[in-house]
Amino acid sequence: MKEKVGQVTIEERDEIQHLFERKNGLNELAMILTPDNDVLYQKLVKDMGEVGTQFHNWWDRMSQQYNWKGTSDGHWEINFDTCEIFLVTA
Amino acid sequence: MSKIKRQNSVWREKIAKNITFIVTKDCQLACKYCYLVGKNMEEKMPWEVAKSFIDYVLDHENDPDFAYEAVVWDFIGGEPFLEIELIDKICDYIKIRLFELNHHWFNSYRFNFSTNGINYHTQEVQRFIEKNHEHLNIGITIDGTKRKHDLNRVYKLTEKGSYQDVVRNIPLWLEQFPDTGTKVTISSADIPYITESVLHLYRLGIHQVNINVVFEDVWQEGDDKRFEEQLIQLADTIIDSDLYQDYTCSFFNENIGKPLSLKRDNQNWCGAGRMLSVDAAGNLYPCTRFAQYSLRSKKALIIGNIKDGINQNLLRPFLALDRMTQSPQKCLDCEVASGCAWCQGENYDSAHTNTIYERSTAICMMHKARVRANNYYWNKLYRKLELEGRHNEFEKSKHNIKPEIC
Amino acid sequence: MMQYLLILLDDTSVSFCHYDKPHTPRRLIGLEDLKAGILYAMKENLMVQFVYPDYELPQEHLNIIDTIDHHNIKPVGMGDADVVVLEGCDPTASSLNGKVCVLQCKKKELFTESDSISAILRQAQRLNVVITDQECFAYKDLKKYETLLDKWSSVLKEEYLTGRTPQFNLLTDRIMLTKPNHCNAGVENITLAPNGKYYICPAFYYSEPTDCIDPQNIPNQQLLRLDHAPLCRHCDAYHCRRCIWLNRKTTLEVNTPSHEQCIIAHTERNAARRLLSSIREVGVFMPEVEIKEINYTDPFEVRNEWQ
Repeated sequence: MKEKVGQVTIEERDEIQHLFERKNGLNELAMILTPDNDVLYQKLVKDMGEVGTQFHNWWDRMSQQYNWKGTSDGHWEINFDTCEIFLVTA
Repeated sequence: MSKIKRQNSVWREKIAKNITFIVTKDCQLACKYCYLVGKNMEEKMPWEVAKSFIDYVLDHENDPDFAYEAVVWDFIGGEPFLEIELIDKICDYIKIRLFELNHHWFNSYRFNFSTNGINYHTQEVQRFIEKNHEHLNIGITIDGTKRKHDLNRVYKLTEKGSYQDVVRNIPLWLEQFPDTGTKVTISSADIPYITESVLHLYRLGIHQVNINVVFEDVWQEGDDKRFEEQLIQLADTIIDSDLYQDYTCSFFNENIGKPLSLKRDNQNWCGAGRMLSVDAAGNLYPCTRFAQYSLRSKKALIIGNIKDGINQNLLRPFLALDRMTQSPQKCLDCEVASGCAWCQGENYDSAHTNTIYERSTAICMMHKARVRANNYYWNKLYRKLELEGRHNEFEKSKHNIKPEIC
Repeated sequence: MMQYLLILLDDTSVSFCHYDKPHTPRRLIGLEDLKAGILYAMKENLMVQFVYPDYELPQEHLNIIDTIDHHNIKPVGMGDADVVVLEGCDPTASSLNGKVCVLQCKKKELFTESDSISAILRQAQRLNVVITDQECFAYKDLKKYETLLDKWSSVLKEEYLTGRTPQFNLLTDRIMLTKPNHCNAGVENITLAPNGKYYICPAFYYSEPTDCIDPQNIPNQQLLRLDHAPLCRHCDAYHCRRCIWLNRKTTLEVNTPSHEQCIIAHTERNAARRLLSSIREVGVFMPEVEIKEINYTDPFEVRNEWQ
């Protein structure tokens, strides 16, 4: 079930979209980089950690700021076109 | 809530640079309407050319040609998945180089494919998809019903239709890319099968059907009438069965069939000149349509190469081009001009002289027929929503609801 | 509307424009072709301009030439002419007093022979300088070119103060013009070549002899007109010739100039602006003329303002 629970600003959307894209890029890069290429691999690992943290922080920050409805078995999604936030439950 | 499903917006439209690799000119098929008149098995892109090209592009990050927020790396053939190993190597190199260079495109890129779908299921292609899933746009071309698809999309040696080999991959494709769309091409002989084909695609689970007539001058007398009849039949089915809520067909668009202002609506909508294409020899083109294998009657229009770069003077006509300068008076006076498309490559190929500034009007009657059917569609749909008391709701719900899971 | 017919009397006729005269053997236009060209001009009400080679023509040809009112374009030293063409700067050329002159030169010569050009400006009634290798102009040449234009501006100003008003295509034309004054080949003029066929202009004949046209039916003729030139129709470098042969040579399109053509024309335009301002320092001069200050040298850079 999908229910609209909020909306973020365009700037806030841009922030999470940037992190989302970078996170995906890093995840896919991780499939092809190995520790053989030490410098690049270390850079990747560091970057993945940082981006992951920023990513989760954004959701925590926004959910607190906007006080979105949440459930224990649900998760939030964002529509990048409309900036709407949806609660998705089973 | 009442809604009308909208076509998906193009990813980063207008702010993404389109860069195309012509990886091969080979294809399993010899589609009868294919504009690639010079397909062959010999010209495959060597890895060294692809690498040099990527290095050239990334070295010129700050050039106006490449100063875009995002990039779409496009792979075309022939059939691009025939060169999946090369493509895989190219994509890996791109990802690594973007990361190494801290290039802003690392945060905003896509790999784009338009495939005949025949080897979509193979291990090599599937491995590639798994590696790059979040950055892929893959469109499989399935032309509709078996009889419509097999009318044109035939194997080159046997001339046997390819429908069975394509349709078996559709469920896997939809599972991996839900809410994706297919591209359907209509030529003269296909007209009687438009309605059944679009509905068939819906039944296969494809919700977005991007369908257009070919730009080439292939139309026979009476084709426009037959085309209009088919579209009206399709319109009736879509509206009467409420299919408009969950499916789209690009023939029906609220914005087509209006007059255009010479001042306000003078822009060139075609991306030729803003995109960049490279072939196996390292030649650069303003669009793949200007490569020799794509031209019937003109010489290729090469704007540079990977060694010397782009000759900016050869790009100027493309970037200066507008609607007014290329269109004959009947187009400028046309009362239903909006949505009437043109292809710069076809314009060049069919022009009386070597110019991109002579707009081909081969699709004029077909566009007008489409406009009449389109008007019928929206008049009928709006009236239906009004009678059902749902028109206001529909007006409010005009957004494209396509949540990304994040 | 077609107004002029240019008749090349020989394959070695002097070049007065952006194309280089090719090194070909002499080939005089046939008498029948010459008569046919003149007849065509009479019927279509076109003014004929004959372009001469550097040798004396047979009397038969001269007799036919005299059957119609015309202008003569001749190389220097070939007698009376409406337009005298100097192929390269020649300080010892015979007196150019009061003459209308065309000087063809390359960029290198332009920079090294600037004094010769100054000397010509002090003699001739009008001087057209045609740079035949414009595509070789780079940004580093512009500053030098600007300096030269300002130097010639000083010469012109001195002449004006003596009461002489020489015309110079690179400078005074822009001051005098209130609207574009382009070559308009294929629209206002066409060329009859020595092979008896018609061409958009001599440059098209020399670069590709198979590129002949039917003057009554020029394909895509609208692209030769200003209203179908997306950059030029907004441009106020009115003195620019908008050479469509150069356009096609550099951009592959007759209606689109190269970057080099534009920056050269705008450097000249801006120099004309400075000359106008300088002349006004000593008195009222054409008060109705205004050349606006602009911050670009290539209209391509600002095309989005009107697209």
